[in-house]
Amino acid sequence: MYIVIGGSAGSFQAVTALLASIPRNYPHTIFLCLHRLKNVRGGFVEALSLKSNIPICEPYDKDTAMPGVAYLAPANYHMYIDANNQFSLSTEEPINHSRPSIDVTFCSIANTYKENAIGILLSGANKDGALGLKAIKDAGGTVIVQSPDECQVKTMTSAAIKITEVDYIMLTNNIIDYLKNL
Amino acid sequence: MFESADILNFIKALRDYGRYDFSNYSEKSFTRRVEKIMMDYKLDIPQLISKIKTDRNFMEQVVRDITVNTTELFRDPQVWHAIKYRILPRLASKREINIWHAGCSTGLEVYSMIILLNEMGMLHRCHIYATDLNTDVLKTAQKGVYSYRSISEYLENFNKVLCENPYNFDEHLVVTYEKYFEFNKIKDIFKVKEEFLNIATFQKHDLVNDPNPFDVSYDIILCRNVLIYFNNTLQNKLFLDFWKYLDTYGSLVLGIHESIIGPTSAKYEKRGLIYNKKVF
Ligand SMILES: C[S@@+](CC[C@H](N)C(=O)[O-])C[C@H]1O[C@@H](n2cnc3c(N)ncnc32)[C@H](O)[C@@H]1O
Repeated sequence: MYIVIGGSAGSFQAVTALLASIPRNYPHTIFLCLHRLKNVRGGFVEALSLKSNIPICEPYDKDTAMPGVAYLAPANYHMYIDANNQFSLSTEEPINHSRPSIDVTFCSIANTYKENAIGILLSGANKDGALGLKAIKDAGGTVIVQSPDECQVKTMTSAAIKITEVDYIMLTNNIIDYLKNL
Repeated sequence: MFESADILNFIKALRDYGRYDFSNYSEKSFTRRVEKIMMDYKLDIPQLISKIKTDRNFMEQVVRDITVNTTELFRDPQVWHAIKYRILPRLASKREINIWHAGCSTGLEVYSMIILLNEMGMLHRCHIYATDLNTDVLKTAQKGVYSYRSISEYLENFNKVLCENPYNFDEHLVVTYEKYFEFNKIKDIFKVKEEFLNIATFQKHDLVNDPNPFDVSYDIILCRNVLIYFNNTLQNKLFLDFWKYLDTYGSLVLGIHESIIGPTSAKYEKRGLIYNKKVF
């Protein structure tokens, strides 16, 4: 399966918890699209790697995605996944004030992986990701939203729930169980 | 939003009526550009195609709209440090230095280079060539006029590259951007000073179809954040082209998240962020 996780303000904790729970040699591929503060371009991979059992990397353009690795959208680039699991980066204008934009990565995952895609949207302060999550659902994938009650900032998850019949609304711990049993 | 056959017809129309070939652009980012164009003009693909066939100006406009022109002053300072401390010192004794910015957009990368060379006392020995597919951005590049608001974000990078030495923290120079730019915050204008305009040669050039635009071998080719819009096949063609156009031991500088993969990688030696031409 191809798991894509999107998050913004207030999602760091949930993301680190998810990554910490994923076992070594995980058979699925993970994509992360997280907003970060402008001008903070480095150090993020290191911070996320601290507790993770699987390698985390920022892909280069045209790298091939492999199972058991988590790929983080690089700062200031949109991240697409073309056919053949190949990354394509782009510096198009920010979408929803964001580059990387979660919508861009989610839509691309929806289009490439269809029913094999799992989209997870976490805490965040803008609407980026809502349309992308809908695209994953419409393409036959599974979509999960972090329970807004648990989110530090609910804007993103609420926006997604409003426009999509999501499969699960879950606390971080339940998302962890879901991913472990996949 | 549309079928992939639509995209192929669209690409074919630009090829038949404009001699532009987008068939080897990265699939998803290209599709996204086409979607944006459809929305901006409120036309569907068949309507776009028929307008491309009948209206030459529109066809050229669509080509410009496809291109993504984001650029920054001293983008990714670590790359500029590599140019400053790894490439340029090697060229210090050369009488003439040829530099090509392939896909230069509005020229901020070109002016970054001019400023760096000037600070290093090498500018008078350099020929700077800059090309792009999009003629609008080339006009901006030639004028050297930007919006103050958009530039002010990157002045921190200016200081990082020109004033700091990552290999020697004790070194700290003072270079102020007033030396190179005139600006007016209220009118939102940030302008390259007259004496630094007309140094670079700007010219339209299509990396997909056109041969070496200038009759020289280059010591440095910068092609940053351009090849990300191309698929592997087209990237490899360009790595081979650049290899041919580079002077012996010339350097290729790619974007910070780009690398040479595939059959042409053996033709280059990777040194940190830089690819040097291997000579057999
Ligand atoms: C994102 S900008 C990169 C600007 C600059 N090199 C930088 O990194 O800041 C990409 C540029 O490549 C140009 N481009 C796209 N396709 C091209 C082609 N086939 N030939 C020449 N330039 C092209 C676009 O017009 C655009 O200005």
